[in-house]
Amino acid sequence: MLLGACGKVPDVPVQDKIVPLSDQAEVAPFAPGQAGAMFVTTQPGDINTLNPLISEDGPSTAAISRFMEGLTRLDPDTGAIIPNLARAWSISEDGLRYTFDLREGLAWSDGEPFTAADVVFTWEEALYSKQIDSATGRPAVDEKTGRPKLRFPSRPAYFHLVEGEEVRAEALGEYRVRFTLPQRYAPFLLFAGGQEILPRHILKPHVDKGTLLDAWSISTGINNPRELVGMGAFLLESYRPGERIVFRRNPNYWKRDSAGNRLPYVDRIITRIVGDSNASNVAFARGLTDAESIQADNVTWISRAADRFDFDIHDLGPSSSTSFVWFNLQPGANPEGRPFVPDHKRRWFSDRRFRQAVSYATNRQGIVDGVFAGRASPLHGYVSPKTVNWFNPDVRRYPYDLDRARDLLNEAGFVRRGDRLHDAAGNPVEFSLMTNNNSNLRTEMATVFAEDMAALGIRVELQFIDFNTIIRRTSESFDYEACLLGLGGGAPDPYSSKDILMSDGRLHFWSPSQSSPGTGWEARIDELMRQIGRELDENKRRADFFEVQAILAEEQPMIFLVTANEYVGVRRRWQNVQPKPLGGVFWNFDSFWARPE
Amino acid sequence: MLAFLLRRLLTLVPLLLGVTLLAFLLMWLAPGDFLTPMKMQRDIPADLIKQLEADFGLSRPWYVQYGYWLGNVLQLNLGYSWSFKVPVSDLIGSRLFSTFLLSLTSTLFAWVVAIPLGVLAAIYKDSIFDRASSFLAYAALSIPEFFLALLAVWFAAVTGWFPVGGATSIEYDYLSAGGQLLDRAYHLVLPTLVLGIGGVAGLMRVMRANFLDTIRAEYVQTARAKGVPEGVVMFKHVLRNAINPLISAFGFSFSGLLSGALIVEIVMNYPGLGNLIYQALLREDQFVVLASIMLSCVMLVLGNLVADLCLAWSDPRIRLENQE
Repeated sequence: MLLGACGKVPDVPVQDKIVPLSDQAEVAPFAPGQAGAMFVTTQPGDINTLNPLISEDGPSTAAISRFMEGLTRLDPDTGAIIPNLARAWSISEDGLRYTFDLREGLAWSDGEPFTAADVVFTWEEALYSKQIDSATGRPAVDEKTGRPKLRFPSRPAYFHLVEGEEVRAEALGEYRVRFTLPQRYAPFLLFAGGQEILPRHILKPHVDKGTLLDAWSISTGINNPRELVGMGAFLLESYRPGERIVFRRNPNYWKRDSAGNRLPYVDRIITRIVGDSNASNVAFARGLTDAESIQADNVTWISRAADRFDFDIHDLGPSSSTSFVWFNLQPGANPEGRPFVPDHKRRWFSDRRFRQAVSYATNRQGIVDGVFAGRASPLHGYVSPKTVNWFNPDVRRYPYDLDRARDLLNEAGFVRRGDRLHDAAGNPVEFSLMTNNNSNLRTEMATVFAEDMAALGIRVELQFIDFNTIIRRTSESFDYEACLLGLGGGAPDPYSSKDILMSDGRLHFWSPSQSSPGTGWEARIDELMRQIGRELDENKRRADFFEVQAILAEEQPMIFLVTANEYVGVRRRWQNVQPKPLGGVFWNFDSFWARPE
Repeated sequence: MLAFLLRRLLTLVPLLLGVTLLAFLLMWLAPGDFLTPMKMQRDIPADLIKQLEADFGLSRPWYVQYGYWLGNVLQLNLGYSWSFKVPVSDLIGSRLFSTFLLSLTSTLFAWVVAIPLGVLAAIYKDSIFDRASSFLAYAALSIPEFFLALLAVWFAAVTGWFPVGGATSIEYDYLSAGGQLLDRAYHLVLPTLVLGIGGVAGLMRVMRANFLDTIRAEYVQTARAKGVPEGVVMFKHVLRNAINPLISAFGFSFSGLLSGALIVEIVMNYPGLGNLIYQALLREDQFVVLASIMLSCVMLVLGNLVADLCLAWSDPRIRLENQE
């Protein structure tokens, strides 16, 4: 580096108020390491905000997770909910009261005490704050729903409502918080435990001024990073838009190693912002960064540089994202009186045997090999096998089998004439399939799928179009026949799928927002999902969700294709790296260490 | 003079109105809006999307939205970025400096290199130097900027002589003032070359052609016949007359300063306005897009104004007052 000699990175420049480690500090179960190393990464895309209430994009969420923490976290092996800022909790007999005991004597990164008041503040004053009607001086009410209007409308604020009703949070002493629910709500522990706790002493003035959603913007990151106070292992040191984000270790972090040293070991994380994930992958392949999430199609060539730059690529197996094809089953007609789907096509699509035949004729292994160069896994059901605790391995599968596909089609009255398939009324079987044009993987999957259908004599017309148009067509105008899309992981609880699986759901892809379930099996799924929402017994919930998966596999309203595998590269100099399929590579990042270079 | 300036600035008003109205209409016609991607996310409640639609005013007809926006702009409020939740002026302000710096250095580079080269090529017409410089100019003109940018990134990565992207190095914050200046300059070298080289080629060809035209003028012959030294003929008489079209061209290049760097910024990962505008456009972050379009428009008009003023200064025959 030309200018490397001109300046040295000084030690922590401003004096921090350091609070001694609490005796309730968590002890990390790893061999003690050496502090002081610098961790260098790249990140495709810049952050939009540092405010956990409004963050929507990956880069912002990643940055926020470095300095914010919730009451609980997930076990990297089993996915079970385990203590984090809360050391224990209990649930009342009726399932309506959750009492959390916080770790005592912890401090925020600026040295102020962390107490139950912060937790209560997060729910009662930040999330649930109401708009006051200036005319009446009373809370403003939404005319449509009849509920009070939120002053800071945000995803978490709505997320923490239980079927539209608020949860009450109250402090019982300095380190105990009790939540009272309006009704039984199974995912409460997961959802509430994952909510970042906000520092009352910093954000209270923003609540009072009504500027909570404007607080902690990128301007704060640029001009006043010390205002970003959290409980995470790191805190923001500096941010230059479009260039880099620098985090330094939180001197008041609440974990220690077995030798009694305060974690984390990493002194600074320097994240360079680059244009896209390819640029980010290239930087890692050239030995410029310490760790990188590698796209499936880049694994082969990057692994050639592994010894030269001394890194390992960890194969984490299937990811939690899924890809699937569905047919438009929306009944009814558009405002011009034309049915959304021509009647004869609707008859094919709504015939279970047709959907099953399509599923049998889909060569999933062909997609894995042809599109992902073998670095993906065939997907047979709604849940990816990565989600070990909710994955039902025994659902009906559809191995590539053209004979069974043809049998099913014959049974349903389809006949083959020449190289084309016709229905009983003599209509040639053909449909259009749309997917978004900015995803190479999806357009390639759609192409393979269309070729597979040609083997059955079905002609598929491919439409690669703008993502926003797809959303409009699938959720508003219903002007399409079939669609290929994917889903990310979502919160690891079956109830987070309710908008997809329940027939009144906004994302019930094949026929959204139904006023009452259109079929018997959809009614059964609705019933099971409602039980999953109320039932607190983990085993009963699992049994219910297994049944949901079995119904979906039998009915094939969504024909699942594949899930990409995940790969993460890490330089070998880093110690305590223990990748897990569920927790990934960075679940114990606060215990990573290396000899400073 | 003042009347001229005023008149020029007044033309901005209908121009800005037309351009922003068109931009607004196009964004409204394009499928989806800022909130559309949210609709495909499973854990965003429908209520939140409705409330945000109301808060952002997206449920109103487009002309009402435009009216509100215009009202705010008249009060010098450029609005608020939906994705960043900060005022647009702050957002653009934080990036403007980098882009402006890059544009300035590349324009400077283009002029400083192109004018002497063009003059030399004209004076030594048909020499091997003229041929070689013509060839190189055509080559430079025919290589698209983005490709040149890719080459530069590759060059930096292979040799390690220059940084691969960025405007400052990691230790920037800990450098002395002089060190910071050097660091910035070091990061500017490659983007400046990439962005400037097309300009060099174009300007050089124009300079050469004009210079040749002027060299054959009668007053040049007269000057030579009077016994004026050749150097004075060339630089006092010929150059002064030949440079006028270049100054006019400067006005246009000034307007391209912000937008022209867009592709180079994205490819070379230079943290300027380009990336920001591109992302805002993709996400339909309305007010950021409108503000940047307005900025380009103002730059175009200002650029032409500055060019006209320069022209008047360089060529005493031009009288701005009588021009229109």
